[in-house]
Amino acid sequence: MASTEVAPQAPVASPAAKAPLVGKPDLIQRHLARLGWMFTAPALIFIGLVTLFPIAFAIVLSFEHVNVTANGFQLQGATLSNYHTVLTAGLWHHALWFTTYYTVISVIIEVALGTMFALVLERLTRFRGPMMAILLIPWSLITVISAELWGYIYNATYGVLDDLSHIFGTGEPVVLGTPLAATVALIFADVWKTTPFVTIIVLAGLVMLPQELYEASEVDGASGWKTFWSITLPLLRPTLGIAVLFRILQAFGIFDLPYVLTGGGPGNSTTSLAILGYNTLFLDLDFGPGAAVATTTALIILLMCVIFLRVFKAQVGKEAVGA
Amino acid sequence: MNQGTPTAPTRHGRLRRVQAVVLASAAAALSLGALAAPSASAARLPNSSSAKTSIEWWASPISTSGPDLRKYLITAFEKAYPNITVNLVSAPNNTDTNEADLETTISGGATTPDVFMGDVIWPGTFGAHGFAVPLSKYLPKSFFNQFAPGLVAGASYNGQVYGAPFFQDQGFLYYRKDLLTAAHMAVPKTWQQLETDAAALVKAGKVKYGFVWEGDSYEGGTCDFMEYYADTGGQVLNSSDTASVLNVADVTKVLTFMRGLVTSGASPAAVDTFQEPQAMTAFQDGQAAFLRNWDYAYGVANSKGSDVIGKVGVVPLPTFAGQPEPGYSNIGGWNLYINPHSKNLQADLDFIKFISGTQAQTIEAKPPFSEIPTNEAVRSNPSIKALNAPFAILSQTKLVPRPAQTPDYAKISEAIYTNMNAALAGSASPSSAASAMASGIKTALSSSGL
Repeated sequence: MASTEVAPQAPVASPAAKAPLVGKPDLIQRHLARLGWMFTAPALIFIGLVTLFPIAFAIVLSFEHVNVTANGFQLQGATLSNYHTVLTAGLWHHALWFTTYYTVISVIIEVALGTMFALVLERLTRFRGPMMAILLIPWSLITVISAELWGYIYNATYGVLDDLSHIFGTGEPVVLGTPLAATVALIFADVWKTTPFVTIIVLAGLVMLPQELYEASEVDGASGWKTFWSITLPLLRPTLGIAVLFRILQAFGIFDLPYVLTGGGPGNSTTSLAILGYNTLFLDLDFGPGAAVATTTALIILLMCVIFLRVFKAQVGKEAVGA
Repeated sequence: MNQGTPTAPTRHGRLRRVQAVVLASAAAALSLGALAAPSASAARLPNSSSAKTSIEWWASPISTSGPDLRKYLITAFEKAYPNITVNLVSAPNNTDTNEADLETTISGGATTPDVFMGDVIWPGTFGAHGFAVPLSKYLPKSFFNQFAPGLVAGASYNGQVYGAPFFQDQGFLYYRKDLLTAAHMAVPKTWQQLETDAAALVKAGKVKYGFVWEGDSYEGGTCDFMEYYADTGGQVLNSSDTASVLNVADVTKVLTFMRGLVTSGASPAAVDTFQEPQAMTAFQDGQAAFLRNWDYAYGVANSKGSDVIGKVGVVPLPTFAGQPEPGYSNIGGWNLYINPHSKNLQADLDFIKFISGTQAQTIEAKPPFSEIPTNEAVRSNPSIKALNAPFAILSQTKLVPRPAQTPDYAKISEAIYTNMNAALAGSASPSSAASAMASGIKTALSSSGL
């Protein structure tokens, strides 16, 4: 063999070709990045003022003795007593308990119903559009307005439910005036409103599932139920995870439904954490403890989301990459 | 081949100019935004103004049906003071929402509303937090002497008067004359008699509901509770409003009686969701035999749209058997307050002086409004007293105020109405609700606890 054999043609990295990795484009990138920051600066500052500042201020308030006057807040000394007040208050324990089981029950029902509706919608070929539009009506109504409408249905003297029970001869239910019935009524109204939201998310996940798997399972002779459990559900897990996450976040902060329908009553039985915070802040003008209620609620929600994401992390990560 | 050198100078210079323009416009936008933010300013001292001013009056609807008293008063005022225009802002009907809205608005430094119609129980809170102008600083003693005795004391906190009494109110017992006559029943003078009569009428099928009142978990619930509780001879706070003197045994009796109204069928189970509108509707639709409500109910029951015109009688509230008659009526009513950030203090004071004067007070006393005037001269005028049935029996009634002369009143009231509502709904026993109420009031006064 000749020692001067021609070296295999390696891609010649000419200096010109190497240049894009250093030098000019880097500077251009930095210019463009600076420009981008400047263009977005006004919007970012505005968002920061409107969201980050109040959050930070609320946390500050929760660590101070606060007095509110006609000229705003007076901070009168740092303290941990607000948190002590909140964490030892029976009312807070009750609100936490109520909000938790309200969230758990309504999310379970909504996810189950929403998935069922999504499965049906996915099979519809002709009327999917109009059906989705009808389905979205409860979701699109402003909660306060739909809560008032539910109030007319549940009203114990002239409500629709009252009328129906007269027709069926089942007496006069006082729905909003009895603790258990009021809770059920709230969950019912919540499910009515937010199941469409879950349906839309799950439907989006469903239509992205690869058809070959279903064709294969049909060939193998799998029943519908088996197909659902073994193929659809596992593949839907990331989508369901997102839906459940959103719903937990929303349900834990539930305010408008109980506020309009029951005002937190009867007694304190439907007082959620948000209503407790509102009462403490705006009725009692106790801004220190009220801010502590708000901060602890936010921390609890954060904790729930972190735990939930940990549990779902593996599946979400894998499916997102398209494994 | 150039490596690492920036692009041509002209392009770089253009970029620099663009950067400068963007920075400048961002800075301009931010500073404009800062300038546009309203600044909280103290009320200016009164200055006689012949220039045209316009003030905003925040007031919730005074009656649920019929002509609007607020608009009539504004028309009369603008005739007397042609240089001042009054813009009416309709406030929420629910007094708690109304209060929260105002407190948020005023603590945020808003200059409007200028004058607001506020509940009689607000001076303690509003005075302590500085949410209202101390009127005693700007109005002479002769102004306050024109009101009925006791009303000015109720509008004061810490030696300053914060509200000008606008109209007064109190609880009455309304009954269906036709139903009682047909059943040969006398008008009940005791609560126990009322319960028996109401339950009997419901059982006989003469009427759907016996006795309707306000048992919901809100400020109005405290009003009804105070009437029953005062009938047992009890008080809530000591004379200096610093400690609770709540008699738990008496409260247990009261709550047991209230719950008994529902279990005996005298009151509908839904009464724990009733506020004034629901109770009024049930009565004016002819579905109830007895109603506890404020003075306005007489006018509403006898005006167009009511099914019981001419069939309604009114008497002072009953009391518990063995106690001196008649029963206590809770003091309600509304005052006029001034926003400390208002820019039109002189016009505001003019408006308040007009509303407190004999002309406006006579307008509100006459039908179809029939509100109880606060001006003593108008109240004691025999022709005014003869105007309607509630006015005629005013002098026979005994009054009890709510314990509102303390800045902790909101929490005290919450302790009262939530526990009363829990007992009424049957979700708490009367004795445990009474103890919870007592400890809730103690917590409120100690300014600790939620």
